[in-house]
Amino acid sequence: MFILSDLYRVSIGVGNRVLTPRMKQIVKWDHPAGMKYIHFWAPLMKWSLVGAGFGDMLRPANKLSLNQSISLFATGATWSRYSMVIVPKNYMLFAVNIFLAFVGGQQVARIAHYRYTHLETPNEKEKQI
Amino acid sequence: FNTNFSTHFWGPVANWGLPLAALADLKKDPEIISPKMTVALCFYSMLFMRFALQVKPKNRLLFACHFANECAQLMQLARFLNHKYGTPKPMKQYQVPSDLVQSK
Repeated sequence: MFILSDLYRVSIGVGNRVLTPRMKQIVKWDHPAGMKYIHFWAPLMKWSLVGAGFGDMLRPANKLSLNQSISLFATGATWSRYSMVIVPKNYMLFAVNIFLAFVGGQQVARIAHYRYTHLETPNEKEKQI
Repeated sequence: FNTNFSTHFWGPVANWGLPLAALADLKKDPEIISPKMTVALCFYSMLFMRFALQVKPKNRLLFACHFANECAQLMQLARFLNHKYGTPKPMKQYQVPSDLVQSK
């Protein structure tokens, strides 16, 4: 169950031994928000949400969840404002959340367009709500 | 409870939309679940649970939000897998005429 965390710890140990001090300086290995700590990897994983959202562009619009798209847009918009307000300013977080807001907004627009153009049968209307 | 309603509070409140949306979607058609997004959200919430406890000051509201989201996304993933691989569907090249199909 803890295989991933062991793997992570082992690779950090390997990195500590293999990298030269000059290389460590270049990649900021010992920085408190660097590659050794969760402060780096967690915001980086937020890009996977953007990627998944892009991948969802291939899905037909009636297979998208409206609730999820709205909440993605809201969280992207809120955090992109707050990442510029906190000290220190976090440009990476700003970028991720701007993209997330765009992806969420694009999904909402697709769903809205689909529902606007496909409201013929009462069966469809039932399924949508 | 920290009554200083700063970014530390409203940021996680915005993030609560995700688990609430997933909980609302539990009753809906499993067709609308997107597998990529659900798996991505599972990993994202796993990492942010630790992030919320490691950041200074500790953000327990964010931790609770991501814990709830993790549970909700795992439920959605289970529903999706059950819908896609659990219910028997005839293979494409062996389409049985609809009047002969026995509905489950």
